[in-house]
Amino acid sequence: MKCEKSYEHLIHKYLDGDTSSEERKRLEAHLNECPHCLEHVRELKKAIAFVQSASHIEAPANFTNQVMTNLPQKKNTSKTKSKWKRWMKKHPILVAAAVFLLLMSTSVSTLWQNNEQVTFSGSGNVQIDQSSGRVVVPEGEVVEGDLVVRNGELVVEGEVRGNILLVNSEPYFASAGHVSGEIEEVNQVLDWIWYHTKNFFSEVITVLDSDDNK
Amino acid sequence: MEAIVKRIILEVKNGDEQAFAELVELYKDKVYQVAYRMVGNAHEAQDVAQEAFLRAYTNLDSFDRNRKFSTWLFRIATNVAIDRLRKKKPDFHLQDQVKGSENLTYESQLAADQALPEEQIVTMEMQEWVQDEINQLPVKYRTAIILKYIEDLSLKEISEILDLPISTVKTRIHRGREALRKRMRHL
Repeated sequence: MKCEKSYEHLIHKYLDGDTSSEERKRLEAHLNECPHCLEHVRELKKAIAFVQSASHIEAPANFTNQVMTNLPQKKNTSKTKSKWKRWMKKHPILVAAAVFLLLMSTSVSTLWQNNEQVTFSGSGNVQIDQSSGRVVVPEGEVVEGDLVVRNGELVVEGEVRGNILLVNSEPYFASAGHVSGEIEEVNQVLDWIWYHTKNFFSEVITVLDSDDNK
Repeated sequence: MEAIVKRIILEVKNGDEQAFAELVELYKDKVYQVAYRMVGNAHEAQDVAQEAFLRAYTNLDSFDRNRKFSTWLFRIATNVAIDRLRKKKPDFHLQDQVKGSENLTYESQLAADQALPEEQIVTMEMQEWVQDEINQLPVKYRTAIILKYIEDLSLKEISEILDLPISTVKTRIHRGREALRKRMRHL
């Protein structure tokens, strides 16, 4: 009885496979003499074998599906976010182009909406009639350079030595009138954007050309 | 194995949610088995195992890739199971009743072995008895015994899973063994 405590530790050490060969010999020698300890070891081994006899258990058939359908939604959004981020990193030029177009279109469309009034820009003696919405280049008058008219009707009775841009405007040419440059009409926002973009690039090209010439 | 697991983890971290299914497939049986042996019935075992995988998914960023994934996953699973056991008052009689209805699970698993009906019943009763004895163990010892003798893990792994020094793990296994022995001696 007394030996049980002192050998119990050694028995467990032995069951864990931690005993040195010397300890093992000592225990074996003791077990030969002490039926009580021998019985203890047998019972422990029986208990271990009993637990080990537990059959292998498998997860239910639809287990994986259930886990997958229960995955937190939160992760989903960050997933799309990171996808979006990755896409942006892969296509910097497209992103730059998109940003450019956005800024361009907003600035241009604000310009477009800016004035409902009849306005014109250009040099020369030109008459504006706000009530009828007419911009008149009087007979015998010569406008040097380009003319831009918004939200009105352009009546050319005299002469324009340059290009005419009609924004949301109608042209009306008297038989006597004469325009030496090109006449361009812009009546839609998109046209307006297109016109600005075209201008922008032609200016860029001009700048580049002049650089080359130097 | 570990190389495959690391690749899958990287894919999940990069936003491929479906890759996580591969991870579940690889470990579902082990996790479910630990859960089942810990809580003692199929219904709760499924809850615990699912919860363990969901926690693993949400905390995947905190997983140290230099370590063994199964160790980390077992740690989560045992923690979920221990939490579950702590929350409910241990009432093993009630559990035994529930277990009666799970014979189907055992039966379907044993059917593949083509055992004779009588042998089947004996095996079934034997299995119920094993689980019953495991249920009788205090949770501390139960966890250590399950990891050691059912999952067949090394003492080092068990100490990592339970975040305890190896000496403590040994003590718990020793006490668990003694508790089982004492109960079984009287049978």
